[in-house]
Amino acid sequence: MTNLYYEPGSFRDPAGKIFYKNGKVYRKLSETGAKRFDYLKKDNLLEELIKKEFIVKTSETNGRQIDDKLKGEKILEHEKIDFISYPFEWTFNQLKDAALFHLDFQIYLLNKNAKLIDASAYNIQFKDNKPIFIDVLSIDEYKDGEFWYAHKQFCENFFNPLLLSSRKGVSFNNWFRGNLEGIQTSDLNSLLNFFDFTSPSVFINVFMMNKLDERSKINPKKASDKVKFSKKFSKKSFINLLSQMRNFISKLKSKKKISDWDTYEENNTYQVQEEEDKLSVIKNFVDKHNPSFLVDLGCNEGKYSEYASKQKNVKVVGIDFDLNVLDRAYIKSKKNNPNFFPMYVDFSNPSSNLGWAGSERKGLQERSNFDCVIALALIHHLVIAKNIPLEDVIKWIVSFAPSGLIEFVPKEDPTAKIMMSLKGDIFKDYEEKKFETLLSKYAKIKNISNVTSTNRKIYEFNKN
Amino acid sequence: MKHFLIIVFIFLMSTNSYAYIDPGTGGILLQALLGAIAAIGAYITIYWRKFKNLLSKIFKVKKKD
Repeated sequence: MTNLYYEPGSFRDPAGKIFYKNGKVYRKLSETGAKRFDYLKKDNLLEELIKKEFIVKTSETNGRQIDDKLKGEKILEHEKIDFISYPFEWTFNQLKDAALFHLDFQIYLLNKNAKLIDASAYNIQFKDNKPIFIDVLSIDEYKDGEFWYAHKQFCENFFNPLLLSSRKGVSFNNWFRGNLEGIQTSDLNSLLNFFDFTSPSVFINVFMMNKLDERSKINPKKASDKVKFSKKFSKKSFINLLSQMRNFISKLKSKKKISDWDTYEENNTYQVQEEEDKLSVIKNFVDKHNPSFLVDLGCNEGKYSEYASKQKNVKVVGIDFDLNVLDRAYIKSKKNNPNFFPMYVDFSNPSSNLGWAGSERKGLQERSNFDCVIALALIHHLVIAKNIPLEDVIKWIVSFAPSGLIEFVPKEDPTAKIMMSLKGDIFKDYEEKKFETLLSKYAKIKNISNVTSTNRKIYEFNKN
Repeated sequence: MKHFLIIVFIFLMSTNSYAYIDPGTGGILLQALLGAIAAIGAYITIYWRKFKNLLSKIFKVKKKD
């Protein structure tokens, strides 16, 4: 990213356009954008919001110094977020924290006579496990009597997905990924029953919202006239609506479902000694490579990358496909390990390029900028449980970073045996020698450590 | 308040065909309605207070007698 490169996903608001150069993040402002930014600078609102950690650090910069083509343009430079994640990759509590953050921010702004013009969950990112707002141009002046135009968008991006998970025990992630604007009110309304609607917040924000939306679709002119000529919405009512929503969301809990991995860290087949051996392999690796940004594929609760993230102050993105385990990991790391960010991805169907022209939201690989990758006790889940060819799995893991660790779990291992007990052994290529040959095709094997009595081995590789 | 919501509920029990307008309109109509309910609530509160004051005045007068 040394050349000037415009972010293809930055087009919804014509007020500004994100671009990158030399690894830095900038925003080119249009006339409207410049006006909005001038408003933000007035009375030091921008400074205050940065100080209170509502928004990312932002400053004006000289366009000409970045690129000759930008001479005379109004340019902002933004603080760079380590890793951009999307709401469909968040756990229940991550989305809940983002929702509460959005409401708190909106209430704070209203008290300063400002407002957020939209309620897209993509405008929130996680920095040190805390939500932060990245789109400064979404802030504008509040005019007395204005409605909350983003009410429905807030419901579809935050409220509805949380409700779906909390009331029905259905994870929002895969649905959200299919419809990037969130869970539609009409869809959720069809799923909820009479008892769900006895809650005033659900009744108002789902049932009534849907009914009025349907009415506006039946007679659009009448609806828009009604909006135009209706009495203005007082600031007090606006803040009340936000506060009631905040109160309701803060009490929401994910409907518990036991997952395959819930008891993994207690029930897995490792012995204490073996676990310590594994940890020491990771310690040696981290001490040797001193990475600044690591990805832990199949992180579970993040026990193995904990050493890196805590002792060595390495930023770690932990990826797994078990939402319950990830949610627990998030709650834990939010309290005591801001360097570890857990995130949901189904490895057999990782986040791909999505949205308009297939470039609005980037795939997992496209967003990767890691120094090191660790993939422990992962490949047998992809090869044996999901039937993905061994070579493809190796190639995929190695593509994440220049160096890393991969654990090979042989067929004799108790976990692998259970996986094959019904399927039968249809994986003729899945054996240690073949694994070594394939790994050598894509990287150099630097070290091999035996970590269990069942012959599990950790391979250190380097691509250079 | 509860009765009012039930009336609103019954009133809204009719649906049909769609024509796309603007995804946010439902939310604004909802706020207009909530604003109206809040205003009605405020009126009721004001008159209820007045009524209570009136009652307490009557009782105070009676006590003096």
